Amino acid sequence: MQNDNLQRRLLLDIPSGFLLLFFVLPLIALVVLSFWQTENYKIVREWTLLNYGTLATESAYITFFLRSLAMAVGVGVALVAISWPIAYYIVRYGGRYRTIFSLLLVIPFLSGEVLRLIALQGMLGPAGLVNGALIRMGAAPLRMIMYSNAASFIAFIYLYLPLVITTIYLSLINFDFRLAHAASACGANRFRVFTEVVWPLNLSGTVVGFMLAFIPTLSASLVPRFLGGPNGTLYGMSMAQQFGESGTWALGAAMGVVLFLFSAIALAILSFGVDLRRTGFTGLGRQ
Amino acid sequence: MSQSGSYIRIESVSRRYGQVRALDSVTLDIVKEEFISILGPSGSGKSTLLRLIAGLDRPTEGRIHFEGKDVTDLPPHKRGIGMVFQEFLLFPHRTVRENLAFPLRMRREPQAVIDERLEWVAGVLSLTTLLDRYPNQLSGGQQQRVALGRGLVARPTLLLLDEPLANLDRELRQEMEIEIRRYQRQLGIPFVYVTHNQEEALSMSDRIAVINNGRLEALGERQSIYDHPKTPFVARFVGKSSRFQGTVRPDGTTVRLARHDHEFALPQGATTLKAGDAVDIFVKNERFDIAKKADGGAGIPCTVIDVVLRGPFLEYILETDRGDTVIAVKPKRNDPLPIQERVLLSWNPADCHIFKAGG
Repeated sequence: MQNDNLQRRLLLDIPSGFLLLFFVLPLIALVVLSFWQTENYKIVREWTLLNYGTLATESAYITFFLRSLAMAVGVGVALVAISWPIAYYIVRYGGRYRTIFSLLLVIPFLSGEVLRLIALQGMLGPAGLVNGALIRMGAAPLRMIMYSNAASFIAFIYLYLPLVITTIYLSLINFDFRLAHAASACGANRFRVFTEVVWPLNLSGTVVGFMLAFIPTLSASLVPRFLGGPNGTLYGMSMAQQFGESGTWALGAAMGVVLFLFSAIALAILSFGVDLRRTGFTGLGRQ
Repeated sequence: MSQSGSYIRIESVSRRYGQVRALDSVTLDIVKEEFISILGPSGSGKSTLLRLIAGLDRPTEGRIHFEGKDVTDLPPHKRGIGMVFQEFLLFPHRTVRENLAFPLRMRREPQAVIDERLEWVAGVLSLTTLLDRYPNQLSGGQQQRVALGRGLVARPTLLLLDEPLANLDRELRQEMEIEIRRYQRQLGIPFVYVTHNQEEALSMSDRIAVINNGRLEALGERQSIYDHPKTPFVARFVGKSSRFQGTVRPDGTTVRLARHDHEFALPQGATTLKAGDAVDIFVKNERFDIAKKADGGAGIPCTVIDVVLRGPFLEYILETDRGDTVIAVKPKRNDPLPIQERVLLSWNPADCHIFKAGG
């Protein structure tokens, strides 16, 4: 009994302590800082709403935020649309190789994110592989993909595609495809088998995949820095600058709080908006 | 039976997976209003045949006709079938009502028709109080009824049942057997019932098709399949029986058992057997005669090892003097033979099924 208690305490207290120390406390620090001020690289400990006022009124920040939001939604939707067929084909037709296929998806993660972005710069830049080839052939280079929001978009897709495919793959591999046969025997054509059975029963996995792309895109700073160009500043990049060159930490903290709240809201909408019962969730796993 | 003509026609249908012949040139005519069972051990190809009829799989050779129309290349949703699966396969994200309405919605029936059919099916299958539940809130028997309802609701051309009772306990199974048979009579459409359980096949069917190794081993009325098996496989597989080996004596009219000191007259019908032929003899467990050894007479000498009471029947577990175990089923009596009693086991030659060995 004594032993049991000790075990339970260890199992519960250690992770809880860790989360408290390295997750909750920094978050509180961030919130506190967002209500202070920074002047000449020094923190002024006076309570004020000035930072939030700046964020809500200055058009640059509003633009950055809306651009980030649009980017995150666009990237999330595009990734779900691209990942579904890929994951579906791996699960259905991968046969005994499907584990290997799903592992192959992880390969890009073996190098760092910065490295992958530099590689992408090489692909998309003015002298990059794509435009270089176009110029060689005597065609005009694609300005669209040179240091632009389109370039950032391509980079986000590239970065998070493996995550979303893996999530949807894991959902589909646990899906009982005999249910699709049952629907077919009930008179459903292929399209309706998908819309009535396959899609709804994999909706939770799809939402998780969407969120895994949406949240990091919303706060991304590296991608716009490397590929976004002059009109590609995103909210996260601007936030990083507050903590770096400009030294306006308090404003940066306020931006962090805004991002946190928005991600939390998006998560809440999607998790409460999806009726788990309607995605076949029983709390008991597949039966 | 033949006056209504063939309703479903399966014509020399084969299905190969690579080198494996799952189904080998099976021809079967199904008549409207008949209950036909496809009986076979697991891996015999019976489920493959069902999937071919449903359109979930395509035959390598052969054609399938529904009411004279070739449906071989049609996908399942264009065949107008109903299907009930062993694992029920209800849609877990839909309520009972929505599960039942699914085939109607897929056929784009107007709401009034959907409501009317739902009411009918819920009434027939006593599901009225369960309509708003989700499948995981139902017991096995209730899920089974919903699965059956989903198969029947849209007035299918025929209903395919793939071992639908295998996941139910014994008592419920017997109840459902009667119910299923009743629905089939009410609806007047063919039910094609796949099972490895010969009791289910015997209790419900008009006809039974026995499948073994991808081939149609026997097809006939259930009584004749049971009483007059045409092949050793059917004799062994349908009903519970014991097998003996023997030889036809030189006189050509009696059979001598190989392992036991017993002879009996060669049955009248077994005209293809000649003197000296090695034969397999199958005797249904309920066809044995047991006499006390003390009373004299002919038979295999045995000892009663155990007596099992099965309601109205007694099962005598007998051990022959050569050490083989034989089960003999007899109606229950108030004075059963005691354990350790010495008995003689025999049978009426007309009640055994005899085949040339190795056939």
